Amino acid sequence: MTKTTQKILLDLVTYAFLTAGAVMMLAPFLWMVATSFKIPADQFTHTLIPNPATLDNFRKLFSFDLNFPRLFMNSAIISLLTVIGQLLTCAMAAFCFAVVKFRGRNLLFTLLLVTLMIPEQVTLIPNFIIFKWLHLVGTSVPLWLPAFWGGAFGTFLLRQYFLTIPRELVDAARVDGASLWQTFWRIYLPLGKPALAALAIFTFQGAWNDLLHPLVYMPTVPNTTLTVGLAFFQTQLTMGGRFTVLMAGALISILPLILVFFFAQKQFIEGISLSGLKR
Amino acid sequence: MEYGLRPLGREKFWFWVMLIPTLIGLTFGALGSILATLGLSLTNWDLLRPPTWAGISNYLALFNNPAYFKALTNTFKFSAMYVPGVVIISLFVAVLMNRKIHGVSIFRTIYFLPAVTSAVATALVWNMIYGRDTGILNYLLNLLGQPSICWLCTKNALMSVVVVNIWGAIGEGMIIFLAGLTAIPREYYEAATIDGAGTFDQFFSITLPLVTPSIFFQTLISTINAFQAYDYIYMMTRQGQGDSSVPVVVFSIYRNAWNFFKYGGASAQAIELAVLVILLMGFYFWLERRYVVYE
Amino acid sequence: MKKTLFSLAMVAILLLSACGGKTTGNNATNNSPVQITYMEWGDPAELSVWKAIVADFEAANPNIKVNVDVSDWDSYWTKLKTLLAANTPPDVFAMDAPLYLDYQSRGVLLNLQPYIDSNPGMLDGLFPNTLTAYQTPDGYFGLPRDFQTIVVFYNKDMFDKAGVPYPKSNWTYDDLRATALALTKDTSGDGKIDQFGYVIDPWDFEPGMSEIIWASGGDLINADHTKTLIGEPNARTAFQFLHDMMFVDHSIPDPNTSSQYGGDLFLSGNAAMIAMGHWAVPSYSEASFKWDVVQMPSGPAGQATSVNSAGFVVGKDSKNPDAAFAFIKFVLSTAGQTRLAEMGFACPVLRSVAESDAFLKQGTSINQQIFIDSLAFAHMKPVFKGYDEWSSTIGDGLTPMWNGEAELNPTLDQIVTQADVVLANNK
Repeated sequence: MTKTTQKILLDLVTYAFLTAGAVMMLAPFLWMVATSFKIPADQFTHTLIPNPATLDNFRKLFSFDLNFPRLFMNSAIISLLTVIGQLLTCAMAAFCFAVVKFRGRNLLFTLLLVTLMIPEQVTLIPNFIIFKWLHLVGTSVPLWLPAFWGGAFGTFLLRQYFLTIPRELVDAARVDGASLWQTFWRIYLPLGKPALAALAIFTFQGAWNDLLHPLVYMPTVPNTTLTVGLAFFQTQLTMGGRFTVLMAGALISILPLILVFFFAQKQFIEGISLSGLKR
Repeated sequence: MEYGLRPLGREKFWFWVMLIPTLIGLTFGALGSILATLGLSLTNWDLLRPPTWAGISNYLALFNNPAYFKALTNTFKFSAMYVPGVVIISLFVAVLMNRKIHGVSIFRTIYFLPAVTSAVATALVWNMIYGRDTGILNYLLNLLGQPSICWLCTKNALMSVVVVNIWGAIGEGMIIFLAGLTAIPREYYEAATIDGAGTFDQFFSITLPLVTPSIFFQTLISTINAFQAYDYIYMMTRQGQGDSSVPVVVFSIYRNAWNFFKYGGASAQAIELAVLVILLMGFYFWLERRYVVYE
Repeated sequence: MKKTLFSLAMVAILLLSACGGKTTGNNATNNSPVQITYMEWGDPAELSVWKAIVADFEAANPNIKVNVDVSDWDSYWTKLKTLLAANTPPDVFAMDAPLYLDYQSRGVLLNLQPYIDSNPGMLDGLFPNTLTAYQTPDGYFGLPRDFQTIVVFYNKDMFDKAGVPYPKSNWTYDDLRATALALTKDTSGDGKIDQFGYVIDPWDFEPGMSEIIWASGGDLINADHTKTLIGEPNARTAFQFLHDMMFVDHSIPDPNTSSQYGGDLFLSGNAAMIAMGHWAVPSYSEASFKWDVVQMPSGPAGQATSVNSAGFVVGKDSKNPDAAFAFIKFVLSTAGQTRLAEMGFACPVLRSVAESDAFLKQGTSINQQIFIDSLAFAHMKPVFKGYDEWSSTIGDGLTPMWNGEAELNPTLDQIVTQADVVLANNK
């Protein structure tokens, strides 16, 4: 078998697997989209094409006294600030843990990971009390400020990535007289793009979909986030069996996430080229 | 010997600049959360009155609590299926997507969709898929001449929710692995090709060892997620008043803290859960020493 | 990445400045009116109604400003408990009557008795059995805002189609069972029942279970809340009756069946009758079929239904208790209760409003009077400290039985034992 036929064959297998998987990943989502255009009487039917199709569910959604632009704006600000804070502080910490040698490094890192282990259901109240002391309850500050003091998930993710960056690059840079900060800013940040993009996606998504924290820290609608605003009538729609409107709401709330993902994923294109870097 | 740069002279300043946000966070995170939870677990606190000292009674109570034991068993069963499922499937998907093929960004977006969609909406859709009389899955089974299965009845519910949770987590795992795969220098593959190594040889001799840092990360994070899984399980299997046919530990923590006025007891459950995860994590780190390859 | 970070930062700064100061605290300065917060559970439609009530109130009391904070049911309790734990509760907040003593006994509520005493006659027009739940030896720490009696909703179109006569106000549980059986059908012809005669909530006592227990001469719990009574013979008969409807007649869907239809089989057109409260009226009024309501049937011990109320309570350390009470007083007045009646979720506690057109002629064609008449034979949903844990223990315990995985009698025995432990622990 020649190299080319082998490649074509492998490509075919790849497409076959990916397509089969894509159908499974996509089917529930398509159903959601379809349901959001169905009339309520059809919400349990097994068809993917709404017949008749209607925009009433979206109209109903916007008829709620919710001020969607405002909710959307609040969500966008909080999510963006969270992304900025996390990218910056987690990358700096990850660089320290992956590259710099200092006493207590392992202990500190372990401690950091332990913070991931306690479910937020029980940490909510202690944290709330801290923000109450700081007089920040009732504002959006408690939602994005913590992003600026690092985080176990992001630090861990970036540290794992930074550890795989060839050390020759650092040694070469040091020989050329690069400082610690320059090593971080000129080598690790640019090379860490794929991992930073991954973290940006996760962080944005986490902040956007967060229900618990905006709920307790911020006042109610309209001064809250889109997720809280949607949850506000989700109970009623679920209990009232209005799944068509519920799906319309869910669809609208994830559009920004899909956009963010679509643009951020361009960072995963190809591997590092050792030869392409200045030695 | 552990690798590491030593900050020199003035660089110490930059080192602290880089580390200080995390140190502040640890003070808040570790002291504010862990120590507070630890402290509260030694009290009886109903949230409304000042806590009263309870010693280790909350921990002792866990041993005589069949509901908690059942929840713990479910959590372990859930994790045992969920963690390998997520890691293996998302690695497989990421490796396929890392090949240079057309339309890959569309595939990536499709695979990521479940991860972004609101849990309430997807849980509803899955309920419609799993429905015993009305669901599409049994409809298809019946077409094939098979009898209907009650997917969300107590007997099968654990399996069914594991499938949905894996489905929802593949997108995130895929991203971790895609990022990890980009870190493998292209030259390695070029050299291997010149040496005549085939695709599968390359996967086992280059890709797999070099992606172990990501596998390590994903396994650890999936384990934590498995131990704290809540959304889908709650929405698909809830019954009674906040109970579930697959009650997991987080259910028990949530209900004790928020419904039954037993924040101390809930904290004790959370600490015990954390200790179990930490033990597991110790095991992972031992595995890391042996098997994970860093550059 | 540098550039991306920079542009992200710029976008964020722009956004921040575009709507700067969007969240303000409620610190009143010297000259501005007193600010109070009213927190409750509800949905967007209720929020609009409360905004209207607050506007009326503020017009009458220009020196008080009310911030309304509404969340959905689950979120509400999480938020409320967090605020209470941090010692920053809202001034006025909504309370579900059964949970009232869980809060009152822990000393976080303000005693309203002095305020009631200085407003003589204030409670005179209220239905007496909605008030009982809030009475304590030390006076009222809360007041009912609206009430809910359970009735049977029935799908008229379904009855017409099957040629079954509508239920009458003096019907019995045997009538209910026969009617339900006649309306249980496989309409699609695939061998599976998809139209059910009757729907109850198999976990919460309120819609469906407590009514038949009382009508059979049983009870849920003894008077001093130390003993669970659902295992006593009369209550057992009631459970057996429902069990037979579910597993012999199949006219009540089991939980695994009903969960396929989302939340509500009646609304989705898969059930002919449902035990339900007035809160369902707004969503049912959007149904595509005609429906009406009838009293709960009577059993060997006569007719019985359940009454529950949502009420107002005030945080003990509220900085503006006078303003808080003024707000409560306004909502309980004719003007406030009329607005509340118009919103259609619940029945007003003020008798004169409940019997007025504001409530009885709400634009729906159903017989609203039934909800008021049911008060005559209504039992109060139990109110005691530990209610939530007790009722969850029972609800969880019943689950295997309703799922068809456990027998009725051993299940009830086991539940009573467990529930009594909960009662003892909450003393």
